[in-house]
Amino acid sequence: MNKKKKIVLEILTYAFLLTMVVFTVYPIVYTIFGSLKTNSELTLGGGFFPKEWHFDNYVQAFVQADFAHYTMNSVVVSVSVMIIATITCALAGFVFARREFVGKKLIMGAYVALMFIALGSVTLYPIYSLLTALHLNKSVAGLILALVGGQASNVMLVMGFVKSIPKELDEAATIDGASIYGIFFKIIMPLIKPIMAVVALFSFRYAWNDYITTLIMSISLPKLRTLTVAVVQLKYSANAAAEWHIMLAGASIAIIPILIVYFFCNKQFIGGLTAGAVKG
Amino acid sequence: MSTMSNLTPEKKKRVIKDNLRSYSLLLPNLVLFIAFSLYPVFWTLKYVFYRYGGYGASVPKFVGLENLIRVFSDDIYWKAVRNTFVYAGAKILFIIPLAFFLALFLSRSRKGNGLLQSIIFVPTIMSSAVMGLVFYLLFNVYSGQINQYLLNWGIISQPINWLGKEHAMKTLVITAVWGGVGNYMVYFIAGIQQISQDALESARIDGANRIQTLWYITIPMLGPILKIILMLSITSAFSDMSNVMVLTEGGPTNATMVMALYGYQFFFPISAGMTITPQYGYGAAVSTISAVIAGIITILYLKASKKLDDIY
Repeated sequence: MNKKKKIVLEILTYAFLLTMVVFTVYPIVYTIFGSLKTNSELTLGGGFFPKEWHFDNYVQAFVQADFAHYTMNSVVVSVSVMIIATITCALAGFVFARREFVGKKLIMGAYVALMFIALGSVTLYPIYSLLTALHLNKSVAGLILALVGGQASNVMLVMGFVKSIPKELDEAATIDGASIYGIFFKIIMPLIKPIMAVVALFSFRYAWNDYITTLIMSISLPKLRTLTVAVVQLKYSANAAAEWHIMLAGASIAIIPILIVYFFCNKQFIGGLTAGAVKG
Repeated sequence: MSTMSNLTPEKKKRVIKDNLRSYSLLLPNLVLFIAFSLYPVFWTLKYVFYRYGGYGASVPKFVGLENLIRVFSDDIYWKAVRNTFVYAGAKILFIIPLAFFLALFLSRSRKGNGLLQSIIFVPTIMSSAVMGLVFYLLFNVYSGQINQYLLNWGIISQPINWLGKEHAMKTLVITAVWGGVGNYMVYFIAGIQQISQDALESARIDGANRIQTLWYITIPMLGPILKIILMLSITSAFSDMSNVMVLTEGGPTNATMVMALYGYQFFFPISAGMTITPQYGYGAAVSTISAVIAGIITILYLKASKKLDDIY
């Protein structure tokens, strides 16, 4: 290839990358700068940066729109979902990978089959009725359980990871007199920490960002709403047209925590995505 | 289990104890799985055959195939099916090449590429519902910043009605590409990094230029991972819903109604301002047919990709 062609190719590459970066970053920057503008500046077309930096939008969002309460809900719900999902998946993945028991084939078959049945959000109605029957439809516990859900694919992810650990390790421990619990907590768990981190991170993100499941499971008690649901519901408020600045302040409050988590764990987020593909 | 009867009582006891121990660790997850995955599926499959909800049907009544027959003559449903194919097709058509080229450029080890990867990946960690709201503001006809910029720069003379009947689907696809391209870029990078450097090296020594190596080495060697990527992009595009729900609510007049959202509105209202009369039985039938359609597409795709294997 001659030099001229090479330079043109290089310029095209950079132009493409620059376009993609602007495309990616623009809506996020719009949200954050927009959250500091007045409503009229937002809707009448001001500059890219706010004329004056209205940090009081956040005070308004936290106090008037009660976002302090919803933030608390988001934290409680997401952390609980993360803990429950991670522990139950680790235990189940270990049992599937290492133990023989009556009914194993049937149960595992059901897990695998359910990974491929995509009925979607319709299943929310029976889940909601089930929680109502258990008197959990007005409690944060019901919402958390519904968000944890079945976890079939995460269990399979952990199972694959456990299978890659040499079996001799548990056999040696068994000979030394370790019980199944000892094997799990002392030998397997320390070794599967990377995949447990992936499950934890992804289930936290899922619970923090989820809209539909949380919306439904908080129908009976709107106080249970998380930030994501509370922000989106502003779209339907009576004076939505006058509240763009509050919507964007709310949106910022909802996305900034997850951006901070991402800032510290971006390697785990990106690596976790391919963990399943490589192991599976 | 046939061997169970041959065991001595002592051994039997040990086997039972061993089973109980396994179940004690499996149980927390198994209970969740049965309650939140298995039970809803059986519930849905049962009510496909019932009239339940709607006018004068607060008690479920067995109606056989009535709901399924109704699905086949439901014009709006088939419009939603068409829309889903248009949405999924357009999303995949844009997202795959964009993700591929991003991966191609950003997988080279060069200063700043890691940072660029992290930036392009950011949208995938954010709530598609919250960002749906942001896009709803950005694409607003008169107050949205997109139209304001396009007007100021003289690119358009009249504001474009991005969320109107004519453009809503395009707008939806743009936002879906925004939210998903980082995901597929990461998959492609993983694939590219698996290609042996030796093959690329020897091609270069043989005098192949960059475009030739790309065409004859990189792309064919990405075959296996490309198959997985396409599979994932098909299944996820068919189940996308919360972005549609927030940005366009399926409208205007069903212009962006997709299968998943169409089934949903028989159970719950799409927006806070809507009131609905739930039709659980019919909603179950609609969703089951949608799941079957998505399943058929997946199987056809798997068959087609196997055929491609034979050609290579």
